[in-house]
Amino acid sequence: MDYAIQQMVNALSFGAEYALLALGLAIVFSVMGLVNFAHGDVIAVGGYTMVAFAAIVTANPWIVILGAIVAAALTSVLLERVAFRPVRYADPTTGLLTAFGVSIVLQNLFLLFVSPRPIAVTSLYFMDVPIEMFGVQVSSLQLLESVTTVLVIVGLTLFLNRSVWGLAMRAASLDFEMVRLMGIRANRVFALAFLISGLLAGLACIFIMARRGSVDPHLGFNPVLKAFVACVVGGFGSLPGAVLGGFLLGAVEVGMLVLLPQEYGGMKDAFVFGIIALILVWRPNGILSPAVEKGDKL
Amino acid sequence: MTLARHQKRGLIGAALLSLILIAIGVLAAWFGSRYQLRLVYGAYVNLLVVLGLQVFMGNARVTNLSHSAFMGIGAYAAAICVTPAATKAISLPDAPWGLAAFTLDPLTSAIIAIVITAAIAALVGLFIVRMTAIGATIASLAVLVIIHSIFLFRTDIFKGNQAFFGIPQVFSLTSIVVLSVVVVLIARGFRESHWGIQLRASADDETGAAAMGVNVVRLRLVAWVLSGIILALAGIAYAYYLGTISARPFYFNHVFLTLAMLILGGMRTVTGAVLGTFLISFGLEVVRWLETGPVVAGVDLPEALGLSGVVLGLVIVLTMTLRPQGVMGDREIEDIILRR
Amino acid sequence: MLDIRNLKVLYGPIEAVHGISLRVEEGQCVTLLGPNGAGKSSTISAICGVAKATGDITFLGQDLLGTEIEDRVRAGISVSPEGRRIFSNLSVEANLQLGAGIRTDRDGIEADIDHWFTTFPILGERRTQSAGTLSGGEQQMLAIARALMAKPKILLLDEPSLGLAPRIVGQIFDMIEQLKSEGMTILLVEQNARQALRISDYAYLLNTGTIQAEGTTATLGQNDELMAKLTGLG
Repeated sequence: MDYAIQQMVNALSFGAEYALLALGLAIVFSVMGLVNFAHGDVIAVGGYTMVAFAAIVTANPWIVILGAIVAAALTSVLLERVAFRPVRYADPTTGLLTAFGVSIVLQNLFLLFVSPRPIAVTSLYFMDVPIEMFGVQVSSLQLLESVTTVLVIVGLTLFLNRSVWGLAMRAASLDFEMVRLMGIRANRVFALAFLISGLLAGLACIFIMARRGSVDPHLGFNPVLKAFVACVVGGFGSLPGAVLGGFLLGAVEVGMLVLLPQEYGGMKDAFVFGIIALILVWRPNGILSPAVEKGDKL
Repeated sequence: MTLARHQKRGLIGAALLSLILIAIGVLAAWFGSRYQLRLVYGAYVNLLVVLGLQVFMGNARVTNLSHSAFMGIGAYAAAICVTPAATKAISLPDAPWGLAAFTLDPLTSAIIAIVITAAIAALVGLFIVRMTAIGATIASLAVLVIIHSIFLFRTDIFKGNQAFFGIPQVFSLTSIVVLSVVVVLIARGFRESHWGIQLRASADDETGAAAMGVNVVRLRLVAWVLSGIILALAGIAYAYYLGTISARPFYFNHVFLTLAMLILGGMRTVTGAVLGTFLISFGLEVVRWLETGPVVAGVDLPEALGLSGVVLGLVIVLTMTLRPQGVMGDREIEDIILRR
Repeated sequence: MLDIRNLKVLYGPIEAVHGISLRVEEGQCVTLLGPNGAGKSSTISAICGVAKATGDITFLGQDLLGTEIEDRVRAGISVSPEGRRIFSNLSVEANLQLGAGIRTDRDGIEADIDHWFTTFPILGERRTQSAGTLSGGEQQMLAIARALMAKPKILLLDEPSLGLAPRIVGQIFDMIEQLKSEGMTILLVEQNARQALRISDYAYLLNTGTIQAEGTTATLGQNDELMAKLTGLG
């Protein structure tokens, strides 16, 4: 019984991480139709910022964490300004390939200017201690991660439903030009989407770093691949879909860990993606895919 | 069989491209050193990959990121069939299903490899072609990861990141030049075929094409499988020349290298695929040389690992920003030389 | 107030409007009439900054050509576009809030939203419902109200009667007339000539991208041949 609860907690915390990552992708996609391949590299920027802060400024973990979040948010906004603005109104394939290129550039910049080898960051170890809850051993990190994701979901929901900027972002996902015809500045809407995405990447970065304890140029690749898959399953462009896809993926993944024999551990991802593919046979555009308007506007 | 006007033009274009491919091959054979020959051969292998990529991406306008994995399937399948049983007894002692117990001739092995790759491509394609563009791209990325993890995991068959050695080196520069000419004809032929034209039309206007009774899903699947077959050819050519393969070259770095080639040249045309491949293949050699930290005009440059990656990434970003359709855009070679 | 000279509008390589000139004075309601494809909506798009154009567009002495869409809204130009384009995934109230996106007076916005909900009780009843569930006529009212939430100096109305039942069309035109009597400057694009001429001061007849005829509605009304043609179109 304890084992079952433990695995459920695992599934929940994995799911929370994927949901956090997927939301960061989905918010940008919903506003500008861009599949942001560089999201993972924004996370890596956060990781390297931790290294720099811990080595040069202070070992105080809270300052290190804050630094990472700020750095990720700024990087995200900067990428929008430098790389994604020229392809803002381009077709999705152009945007996707641009983001792909940006991701390659960033990864190789880490390689070029930092190191291909992993660099350890020890200041976040304190976040991961075992604690007892209702007689079950859980990791504080898992708890923290789940709580953070829930707070993020609540916060985003409030923002998107209550504030004018949030409403503008939702409206933009349907008809961006009409939002501009309301006098709401496109530049700000885009910048805001990337800022939120960057903040989410920063938060995800903390949990990824606390778990892994080191950063390398490809830090973001695996997490973001999972987030992509979560988005596709949930329905690309749908924020509830991203959350649903994230938790579903977490559940499937833990299910695989439990069910697969030990020696097949290396094949876990292959099995997980295989199951996800079956879901996509059932719904090729994802479970909560937003309605696509085909045909001419205006 | 009568050819339509655009098909005749396509034939002329393919012939022109073939001349260029043969000329480069001849020049390399005359003037190239052993090392340079290897580089040129590598460029031709990548050309096959980029052509395979073009057949799907250029006509269906869906970005594929799994192509290197299919090249790997072709390479491994041929390698397992063609490698002498005596060698396999040493290199793959634990191979299941008697894979280590037989030896086939290179042609039979190649045919088996093509059939296997096409079958797997068809299976994967059934999922991919039904999804919307973005979903299909992400799914193709997942396919890349799955296939790669199988290569790494089943070391008893594929040897993972270790070298799979002992493949007979039956290919020469001549063979791959001939092969690339054939593939250019296939790619061009598909582009100008009834299917190719319908597929391109559907990519421009899906609703319209569907209204005309075009079965987009089936056309995409045809392009996807044909692309898989060409990728298998690339993998076979790669294995038959080097004699040694491992899982690493069939992964991410190769995916973005070949993708950058196609994007730079222009994915919509076969000419673009050829142009992009040679531009980047030769351009990258300069960058690789800079990466090693050479002495230029008396200045000792530092070693710069990652420089080639930065350059490749920038090529993609700048092409997308300045000329999203690539250098060639919608023009094939004959559109530049002949009058409309 | 709005002064357009020698306007050419481009859609990609195609020129949809071939150098037209028109004026709208403060407090006037001016109508652009004409059949489908005459270039009426292209003209509106050019004024909003959505379509590429050459020539002169002067609004309150300010040259608009080359300015961003957002700046034109801030200068006082609001549009209820062709096909209404309400944000169907948002609530009725949120649509109005976005209409006031350039305003910062919270209380004023609240008051204006309440004003529209009393003017159109049907919108008030559905304030939290998603706007996509409204009927065509309700969506058109919402689109006009949304445009007015920005407190514009000029209101552009692109085919507000398109696809609506005759009874609803009457309501929409009553609403436009009401706005005009309150002093709003209006540039109206319509195919429904009879209704449009009833409420406007001046009209231009567009066909294939050029102005075929213009005049005060009184003058145009006396031209029987023209009227027969126009009402035949409407």
